[in-house]
Amino acid sequence: MSIRTADLSYLNNTTDDPVSRPPLVLGGRTFGDVTNTVCGIVENPRTPPLWYVFFGLSLSLLGVLGAMIAYLIFTGIGVWGLQSPVGWGWAIVNFVFWVGIGHAGTLISAILFLLRQKWRTSINRFAEAMTIFAVACAGIFPAIHVGRVWVVYWLFPIPNQMSMWPNFRSPLLWDVFAVSTYATVSLLFWYMGMIPDLATIRDRAKHPIRKIAYGILSLGWRSSNRHWHRFESAYLLLAALATPLVLSVHSVVSFDFAVSIIPGWHTTIFPPYFVAGAIFSGFAMVVTLIIPTRAIFKLEEIITLRHLENMAKIMLATGMMVGLAYSTEFFMAWYSGNAYEGFTFLNRGFGPYAWAYWIMVSCNVIVPQLFWVKKFRTNVVLLWIASILINVGMWFERFVIVVSSLSRDFLPSSWGYYSPTFVDVLTFVGSFGLFFTLFLLFLRLGPMIGMAEVKGVMPEAHHGRAAHGDYHGDVPTDHDGQIPVKAKREVVQ
Amino acid sequence: MSPLKKTESGHKYWRSLDELVRTPEFEEAVKREFPDDEWDRLPPASRRSFLKVMGASMAFAGLTGCRWPAEEIVPFAHRSADRVPGVPQYFATAIEMAGCALGMVVTSFDGRPIKAEGNPEHPDSLGALTATTQALILEMYDPDRSRRTVQRQGGQDFSRTWAQFETAVGSMLGTDGAGVAVLAAPSSSPSRKKMRQAFESRFPESSWFEWAPITDQSEAAGMAMAFGAPLRVVPKLDQARVIVALDADFLNDHPASLRLTREFTAGRKPDAETMNRLWVAEPGMTGTGAMADHRVAVALGRVAALLGGVGASLVNDHHIEMPEAARVLIEQCSADGLGETEAAWAVQVAADLVAHRADGALMVGRRQPAAMHALAVVLNQALGNEGRSVTYVDAGAQAAEGIADLVEALNGDQVQTLLILGGNPVYDAPADLNFQQALAKAEHSVHLSLYRDETSQVCEWHLPEAHALESWGDGRAWDGTWTLAQPLIAPLFDGHTTIEVLSLAVGEKAAGYDIVRSTFGDAGLAGSKSLDDAWRSALHDGLVQGSALNAVQQPFSGEGLATAAAAWKALVARPAPNAGRPELVFAVDPKVFDGRFANNGWLQELPEALTTITWDNALLMSPMTARDMGLKDGDLVQVEASGAAIDLPVYVLPGPASFSLTVWLGYGREAAGKVGNGVGASAYRLRTTENLWSIDGPTVTSTGRRYQLATTQDHWAIDLIGFESRQLRVGQLIREASLDRYLEDPETFRHMDHHPPLVSLWKEKVYEGEQWGMAIDLNACTGCNACIVACQAENNVPVVGREQVLNQREMHWIRLDRYFKTPEGVGLDQIDDAQVAFQPMTCVQCEMAPCEQVCPVAATQHTEDGLNAMVYNRCVGTRYCANNCPFKVRRFNFFNYHKDLAEVSKMQFNPEVTVRSRGVMEKCSFCIQRIQQVRITSGNENRPITDGEITPACAQTCPAQAIHFGNLNDPESDISASRENPRSYATLAELNIKPRVHYMARLRNPAGHSEPDDGGPPEHGHDAPHGKESA
Repeated sequence: MSIRTADLSYLNNTTDDPVSRPPLVLGGRTFGDVTNTVCGIVENPRTPPLWYVFFGLSLSLLGVLGAMIAYLIFTGIGVWGLQSPVGWGWAIVNFVFWVGIGHAGTLISAILFLLRQKWRTSINRFAEAMTIFAVACAGIFPAIHVGRVWVVYWLFPIPNQMSMWPNFRSPLLWDVFAVSTYATVSLLFWYMGMIPDLATIRDRAKHPIRKIAYGILSLGWRSSNRHWHRFESAYLLLAALATPLVLSVHSVVSFDFAVSIIPGWHTTIFPPYFVAGAIFSGFAMVVTLIIPTRAIFKLEEIITLRHLENMAKIMLATGMMVGLAYSTEFFMAWYSGNAYEGFTFLNRGFGPYAWAYWIMVSCNVIVPQLFWVKKFRTNVVLLWIASILINVGMWFERFVIVVSSLSRDFLPSSWGYYSPTFVDVLTFVGSFGLFFTLFLLFLRLGPMIGMAEVKGVMPEAHHGRAAHGDYHGDVPTDHDGQIPVKAKREVVQ
Repeated sequence: MSPLKKTESGHKYWRSLDELVRTPEFEEAVKREFPDDEWDRLPPASRRSFLKVMGASMAFAGLTGCRWPAEEIVPFAHRSADRVPGVPQYFATAIEMAGCALGMVVTSFDGRPIKAEGNPEHPDSLGALTATTQALILEMYDPDRSRRTVQRQGGQDFSRTWAQFETAVGSMLGTDGAGVAVLAAPSSSPSRKKMRQAFESRFPESSWFEWAPITDQSEAAGMAMAFGAPLRVVPKLDQARVIVALDADFLNDHPASLRLTREFTAGRKPDAETMNRLWVAEPGMTGTGAMADHRVAVALGRVAALLGGVGASLVNDHHIEMPEAARVLIEQCSADGLGETEAAWAVQVAADLVAHRADGALMVGRRQPAAMHALAVVLNQALGNEGRSVTYVDAGAQAAEGIADLVEALNGDQVQTLLILGGNPVYDAPADLNFQQALAKAEHSVHLSLYRDETSQVCEWHLPEAHALESWGDGRAWDGTWTLAQPLIAPLFDGHTTIEVLSLAVGEKAAGYDIVRSTFGDAGLAGSKSLDDAWRSALHDGLVQGSALNAVQQPFSGEGLATAAAAWKALVARPAPNAGRPELVFAVDPKVFDGRFANNGWLQELPEALTTITWDNALLMSPMTARDMGLKDGDLVQVEASGAAIDLPVYVLPGPASFSLTVWLGYGREAAGKVGNGVGASAYRLRTTENLWSIDGPTVTSTGRRYQLATTQDHWAIDLIGFESRQLRVGQLIREASLDRYLEDPETFRHMDHHPPLVSLWKEKVYEGEQWGMAIDLNACTGCNACIVACQAENNVPVVGREQVLNQREMHWIRLDRYFKTPEGVGLDQIDDAQVAFQPMTCVQCEMAPCEQVCPVAATQHTEDGLNAMVYNRCVGTRYCANNCPFKVRRFNFFNYHKDLAEVSKMQFNPEVTVRSRGVMEKCSFCIQRIQQVRITSGNENRPITDGEITPACAQTCPAQAIHFGNLNDPESDISASRENPRSYATLAELNIKPRVHYMARLRNPAGHSEPDDGGPPEHGHDAPHGKESA
């Protein structure tokens, strides 16, 4: 469309005008526009070729993951680089990494919902989906990292003929509960939030299979007042329920380390530090994914630059928190006077794993400092690169915590150096295959933007919408609620 | 084999369907001379035939005192009266190593020998066994052992029977043995001696040669110089207050090392205020050097000069009266040419020896020339040590020509038939003799051997030898005690012993039992008992009580000492090595010995105590030597000497003398078996008749390649941060002080550790019955590694192989932590020498165990008697426990390490201990099976468990008796007493884990009041509680 190439400045809604609230949906979209844009992606009979390329790639990586897991299960944990003293390596690093990523979704949907951050609506569905898929990836690792996968169900408190309970003192068990609860609630939250949108797709569906499939998925949603009333109450309740979980799940994950006695693990700062890190990495991942998605599916008017900028600000804040945690750890290591603790941190910074430590610091502390500058916050390419670096840094953070602490603990006789094998690496790479396979399927088959919620923050949804200052006059619509192209141009101008 | 033939009619004939379809298996079978060679692949009927074999051993078994000496194989149809299925039996037997018999007691489980332990009655064992000899069990079940008689004709191997050999040997030996030579290892066995005599009288024209790569011939030669007779030195270290070991690693490399270790450590009991002092001068770093109170590193060729310095000081400074006959040798002694440190050391040693006249022992190692031994004899006598701390016996050595004479005879075409009884001369003979080439000159050659090794492969005949645990035999201990060996099982692979083969050769074809029995009868050992009674009790005890040789006192031989004096000049003239002309020293390998145990996985994987190297040998050198020679740790270098070259990786450790490079013998085997082939490089290729123990000036050139040694501990070469922290921690982990400081303030060790008050997170358990505890005396531990192999054998600990050791996945339940200690202020790049401390580390069975708390499935739990137990079948393998273990003693089964074991190897397993599957964590259990066994017995007998009744495998075999075990709830027990000892401390007590293994601090006993490295207890706040800790 020639109009867009003519002038794209309207897409920048990051200017703060004290008089008027900046619009969250640009281009003068109506409700119908939103519906058409979002459903259009799902309904378009022609899948974009690029989607096939990515999907093929992801599927291959998923195959790699499957092959690596099969190899692992048939051969033994020894195919990984683990050893004594480093009994946990990439598997646990990956687990914490994915769980951390899985933080953004529920945070955006639940906490920002409770805090009435309306800008969340454009990205929350997307982030929630990412959460679910990240948690799915995370869940694989603790399951396959045990020596005897075939009895991993013993970790659950299932009544059994042995009359054995699991050990409730073990943080690993708390992990099982925390992660499974989080996964369940996140899934419910995501799915429940999607029901009105699924119903919209159902209503627009023409093919009988689509009608049936989306019909089943939308659970008989008729958009009645009573439905909306119950939906919103339930949504609020789930948000309230999910909010503590966002904080608890990574706190509990951090207990795996904090409750142990290993210097570098045994520290009370871990719960807040891990949560901050998780939000940090979660937002980084959302940014990493959303930038190409909005470009490919041309969603710049719904997922606006302001959204991205807001996320950059959150990354700046959480990145600073993480940086504070790093320095606090160092301070405490010195201030406590504990020789083991002191050594562990000196060793992190200057020992054999110093390279990993400095990758972590550069990516997590130095890179986000760019976001002090608005120019950088609103530069999409830079933002994208920075978010990827932050993801890398956050992976290394977990690597530093897990591996460097274990590799040199109390007895110098048992110090070691851990290196991953190709299986470690390919399993991790393969987990991205799983993640992107699920993600691409969702992009193609599900409403990636919460239509109902986006509409809720559009000026049209409010009485006295003129008060918002973003009203541009009556827009003629056709009977589908769509703005004719001609009219749209007028709005833009 | 001919290919398929097509007949004229066009029909194909085939021998089997396999042949018709030409399966790869069939092709393979055709290529092999011996189809079905795999004993393991015998059809299912093998279970029955196995039981038959078992039946035979049962028939042997009987009550130890009244054995049924039947030789026939009979079906095990009726249970013998004394045998209870599932209850182990114990038999006394022996193994001959380096010409000296070592008594042991072997546990037999339903007819399968599963564990070798020392014989407490035996003077050279005293209940302990070395790491090497404990691994005999594994060797017996080695699937690579030779299984049949083989004749090699025209370049092809043919399977033969013993009967066929019998026929052949008749014609080979002829009527009078002209042109017949026998090559055997030196042996103390009276039966061997008898059979040799029988052979020589039947074949008077034959000649007898002896060869072993590791012998005490130099000592015998030195004795011959001093006394005119090759007497044997029997040290009595329990009598010695001052021990001077000159290149003598008597704690490890001595036929009686177990007894010497016991005597040495018994003389180091600080609480009884009897603490001997050990002076060591050695070229490399050895376990004995690690125990030294004063150690000086000198090149092997310079040790003589050092002893000369001691002698000179004794004469000149202390005016010791020397025997007249020895004057000629004493006059040679001088301190000239000694370096400053060496000279001071010599003077100090002399002063200490004089201060402890008649309580000292000067010991010279087997690598030193004869004249050194002669001089030591003279000095010992002058100091009055002879007859007290040093005694001599006449072991009645039988004269025999050596391998050089044999090679000469072979090359002179004087030998048509060569019988090689045991040994592996093609591999280990001095390189300059070119034995293999000479061997080819003999028309017939026969090799009796446990494996089809390097020698067997080039001989015409190979005969499978019966393993020591499958044979009747006898031998004499170092002090001469008559020792008997009996079979634990019928030969698994149709083997026979040396004495049986000799008997076959002379046409008697007597069984081993008959030979040994008749030798026993002829020796007049019965005393007042009837011969049968004496035989039975000797078999029961494994030795003849009171048969030790009496100490002899002989006058000096002036002539011999004159020879020694004449040789002395050349000895002390050897210049100190330098970078351009280093010294290469050959050392006896503490694991595979002379190479015969190369195929033994337990030993290959055993970390050598000082270097923690497994699965390899290396070129050991000190840091400064490496620096000056331009080498780095891990460089692969080519060592060239005597026209041969081998590639060795460099291993740098503090301690060796400057430019003295050590290499272990016994590696680089080519026909050892699947385990031992190609492990390391063979230093025998550099060894010559002239240079048996050291070579001056080998060429060492870097190949430019690197080689990673599989060590179980990181090298001392480490980054600065790690080095500094380790230096800080070692003092806490291994507490150490001088004897003087300890006597002054026995509480000194408790001041070394201060921490805030410890509060337990949960309610602590109260124990009503027993609660077990262990104490490890670091003052006694010599780092001999015996406990590791004992544990491996007892607890079915798998061997994981070099690659997995490189991955840091070794499985040993008990390990030996080795730390180097350097004086404060010595930087990482200035170290050349260091003190060594060992710390055996096993699961310390924490009372407040961090592992138990974190296991999500409760697979590791506390027992009612305080043990931290592993429930294998509950374990899912999260490895969380191992992560949270501050001692890192938990071992994870990363793979199924038992998957590829041969059926025969599986027979070694201890049925009392679960064989762990893949994915399961394991660790030391304090030998819970032994605890339970005693608990059941005492329960049946309705009595409490007595102190000392339970001994874990490690404690049982410890020659130093450094490991104590017992009931902490019993105030009278040995272990409770040890907890009260001020030397007792808990490691990492500040973590409030309350370990059940305590360590006893180590003491050093430097001469005078010099305390070079002992800065006293570190600074600490005195309001904090002391580090005493009891579980």
